[in-house]
Amino acid sequence: MTTPLLDVRDLTVTINRDGHLITALDKVSFSVNPGEVLGIVGESGAGKSITGAAIIDLLVPPLKRTGGTITLAGERLDRLSPKAMRSVRGGRIGFIFQDPMTSLNPVISIGRQLCDTIEAHLKIGGEKTKRKALEWIERVGLPNPEVQFRRYPHQLSGGMRQRIVIALALCANPALVIADEPTTALDVSVQAHILQLMRDLHRESRASMMLITHDLGVIAKMADRVAVLYAGRVAEISTVGELFNAPKHPYTRGLIRATPMPSADGEVRLDQIPGAMPGLGAVPPGCAFNPRCFKAEGDCRAAIPPLTTEESAAFSCFHPLERETA
Amino acid sequence: MTPVVNTPSVPAARRSRLSKLLRAMRRAPGPTFCAFIIFALLIYAFVTPLVSLNPFEFSGMSVMDSFIPPMWMADGMPDFPLGTDDQGRNLLTAMAYGMRTSIIVGFLSVIIGLVLGGSLGLIAGFVGGKVDAFIMRVADVQLAYPALLLAMIIDGAARAALGAERSVTTAITIVVLSIGIAFWVQYARTIRSSVMIERDQDYVSAARITGRSNLSIIVLHILPNVMAPVLVIATINLGIAIITEATLSFLGIGIPVTSPSLGTLIRNGNNFLQSGEWWISVWPCLVLVAFVVSVNILGDHLRDVYNPRLRGRS
Amino acid sequence: MSAQDFLTLNHVSKVYRRNQSLLERLKKTDTGGTKAVSDVSLTVRHGETVGLVGESGCGKSTLARLVSGLMEPTSGEIAFRKDGAGRTPRLQMIFQDPYSSLNGRWTIEDIIAEPIRVHKLRRGRAAIRARVDELLTQVGLSPADAEKYPQEFSGGQRQRICIARALAGEPEFLILDEPTSALDVSVQDQILNLLRDLQKNLALTSLFITHNLSVVRIMADRIGVMYLGELVEEAPSEELFLRPRHPYTRLLIDAAPDMDTSDRSLHPIAGELPNPAFPPSGCRFHTRCPFAKDICRNTAPPQKTAGTGGMFRCHFDLELSNAQAIPPASKARTA
Ligand SMILES: Nc1ncnc2c1ncn2[C@@H]1O[C@H](COP(=O)(O)OP(=O)(O)OP(=O)(O)O)[C@@H](O)[C@H]1O
Ligand SMILES: Nc1ncnc2c1ncn2[C@@H]1O[C@H](COP(=O)(O)OP(=O)(O)OP(=O)(O)O)[C@@H](O)[C@H]1O
Ligand code: SF4
Ligand SMILES: [Mg+2]
Ligand SMILES: [Mg+2]
Repeated sequence: MTTPLLDVRDLTVTINRDGHLITALDKVSFSVNPGEVLGIVGESGAGKSITGAAIIDLLVPPLKRTGGTITLAGERLDRLSPKAMRSVRGGRIGFIFQDPMTSLNPVISIGRQLCDTIEAHLKIGGEKTKRKALEWIERVGLPNPEVQFRRYPHQLSGGMRQRIVIALALCANPALVIADEPTTALDVSVQAHILQLMRDLHRESRASMMLITHDLGVIAKMADRVAVLYAGRVAEISTVGELFNAPKHPYTRGLIRATPMPSADGEVRLDQIPGAMPGLGAVPPGCAFNPRCFKAEGDCRAAIPPLTTEESAAFSCFHPLERETA
Repeated sequence: MTPVVNTPSVPAARRSRLSKLLRAMRRAPGPTFCAFIIFALLIYAFVTPLVSLNPFEFSGMSVMDSFIPPMWMADGMPDFPLGTDDQGRNLLTAMAYGMRTSIIVGFLSVIIGLVLGGSLGLIAGFVGGKVDAFIMRVADVQLAYPALLLAMIIDGAARAALGAERSVTTAITIVVLSIGIAFWVQYARTIRSSVMIERDQDYVSAARITGRSNLSIIVLHILPNVMAPVLVIATINLGIAIITEATLSFLGIGIPVTSPSLGTLIRNGNNFLQSGEWWISVWPCLVLVAFVVSVNILGDHLRDVYNPRLRGRS
Repeated sequence: MSAQDFLTLNHVSKVYRRNQSLLERLKKTDTGGTKAVSDVSLTVRHGETVGLVGESGCGKSTLARLVSGLMEPTSGEIAFRKDGAGRTPRLQMIFQDPYSSLNGRWTIEDIIAEPIRVHKLRRGRAAIRARVDELLTQVGLSPADAEKYPQEFSGGQRQRICIARALAGEPEFLILDEPTSALDVSVQDQILNLLRDLQKNLALTSLFITHNLSVVRIMADRIGVMYLGELVEEAPSEELFLRPRHPYTRLLIDAAPDMDTSDRSLHPIAGELPNPAFPPSGCRFHTRCPFAKDICRNTAPPQKTAGTGGMFRCHFDLELSNAQAIPPASKARTA
């Protein structure tokens, strides 16, 4: 078994709401192996973005990390000083946000922004920086690098901006890239471009990637392993093939079946999960999924199921689904 | 974790409104204190005239008692706790009458400004196009003149038109109208911009598809959604309107001395500041300042609470 | 218009004029504008659900607002079948954003009762209240919710309230503009199931707009595909997915990632969506089309009818000429 590049154990994040502490992430554990794409999937509010932000210490009050360990290549990130963390961020860990405008400075040309990032993290300067920046503009598939170099973010389309953000995230040769919904704001036809680009660059650089999304289609195409989050807890972690073909957690299966994918006769009835994911602070006792789960029994309401780990997979359920022979 | 308790007997909305109010009061002790001052002054202004003779009518004054200082000074008398003025009026009662006029003028002019500016703003925002352009250009032009100057011009014009023989009611009406007209622009602008946001919301489209007329959409759907910010402005303007009236009266073009406002009292007292009878003008000044400052603090606070951009920060 | 036809759009176009400056108005220069909907002809038959798909900015919402009467077309005409008394059918619309489509100052009861009151479908407080309770139950909420305000509900619940309000108007025609796009999958699913049940039980005629191909495939009998304001293809649902005739339809079907983990290839469409304000000359799709020839750059393709009762707008026919050029579409999705 390989030693993981990133290991997150019992990560807990709380929200301070008028003095009451509400748990937003409850003992989330997972790991990312070198060169692997770990997909993180879940419905809106499941805590996906908070997980990404907690790893690079970007949580802002009222959010606060209150427990757990984060280890990147043997180094405890949770113990780093804010200053040391700043050089990790954008250096050894690159990140891509849903809205490209949040990572781009609107009043600085994109060439300048690329050069700044390269200079800060690669410790090179002068002409070499500019050459490297132009090279990256070309690598992310923008025509006329020299022209793009001098343009400002508002002069680019949404897809082009996201390409620049990807260049910014990757230009410092990070060991890990955290991409939070990188294609959600884009159209289908552009989305496929960006995914293709991310896949190509990932193959070239062999950087590990955490791909956060709520789109199971994106997960199926991009991820090697997948962690499913539900109400701030890990429901299941498994390889992508296992997850789609033999999910263990009832929620995972519910999520897959809820995604509209008509069969040939077009007359499939969508299998729906009743109810909705509990909001913050309204998580029921026991398994967070128990009010919506068709397998729930007394024990599910009494205790939180532990994360049972087998090989590279894990699930937290007292009554996991059997492998279906269908 | 707190269990969710269902109490169907109490309507959720009402219960939470009361508890919200209590919580808001605890969080903002300053504005709460101001609210109490306003309340106390209102009672003072409206209850005193019910239990005392009007010092501005002949039966209510006695020249014998003129220029008596407040009771804790050498020549003070316990009958006149705050002293008397040149006509021997008890200042404590006189000020209540003055306040009452000031507050009535303030409220009426705010309501006139609100109704006038509100309707013009609604029309401008909802209809748009040329109508909007016209109303807003008029507003821009008016904004170039200070409100006080405008009120003076309107006041002067009305007086010139009506001639010399005018009753107290006419004078008050003129003042109220001129202050109200001087302040409509602010309401119109605020309402217009909110209306322009609301009229494109999907709930308005839904009502229109259902077949509602423009008028009922404005009255039933849009109006309730745009009122909060103007009501806040109205509270703030109440203070400004009272001051404007006081200024007009101080300058001698507002309300006649026979039915005085705080401004008239201050103007009257001003004549005696030099000769040492400071109390005649200082008390009305203090009451005016206390009321206006309280109203402004409360209004500011309400504006912060209702400002959608600041909402959700707590 | 045949007896079956419920709604006909005849060469409908809509241009959004840019706000002109005073100087431009004085000089009477025509600055043009965005042609958001361009020469769309479409027929909706009685009892049928017609789907409209297309990427962001292609004019779907504009078309919905034109059909609903919220806006007048710049040219062309939109005609509903009139009943014996010459009355146009009752319309209702469900919007994408469940937050802005409910008036936050009204109770749920008043919101749902509004169409009933306006159309005088029930008389008397008690009768209206009974109908509201019935509708709330029908969309999976409880009558106790009637006294609450919209703020107390989640996005999915709000969308149910919107559906209840639309049904309250007893519409003969329902327009749904991305009714599930703002919702999570598990909630989207509940709403789609609800809508499908209603379609079946109430025999509604409807226009269903979405950018999600899988959703439209489940919901619609016939589907129209829009690109930069034009309707480029229109065909019965299954026909469209199995045998797309327009290159854009084919590429769009392939571009959305499916959940097949054995074939992980991605199929992006070359190039980027042009600015709708300045659509390309000739065929609007020629800048991204793998089959584009010179004729495509210069001449706008005519509207051709397909044997299956559909239509498409391309100089070539994908079925006949180019079938080998790209692998068959929608293979994975039918698995
Ligand atoms: N700054 C904040 N203050 C208070 N609550 C927050 C804050 N940020 C996030 N939350 C809450 O924490 C929970 C998890 O949020 P998070 O952003 O991680 O969800 P997500 O899984 O990324 O969802 P989405 O798919 O919508 O992006 C949500 O309920 C959210 O409302
Ligand atoms: N009120 C308006 N004024 C000017 N242009 C507009 C207006 N509304 C829409 N447009 C433009 O018209 C085009 C079509 O817009 P429309 O909203 O119909 O697209 P859509 O297909 O519904 O897109 P989406 O999937 O993003 O909702 C877009 O280019 C848009 O920018
Ligand atoms: S007309 Fe030409 S450019 Fe347009 S879709 Fe057909 S082949 Fe492509
Ligand atoms: Mg997120
Ligand atoms: Mg739209």
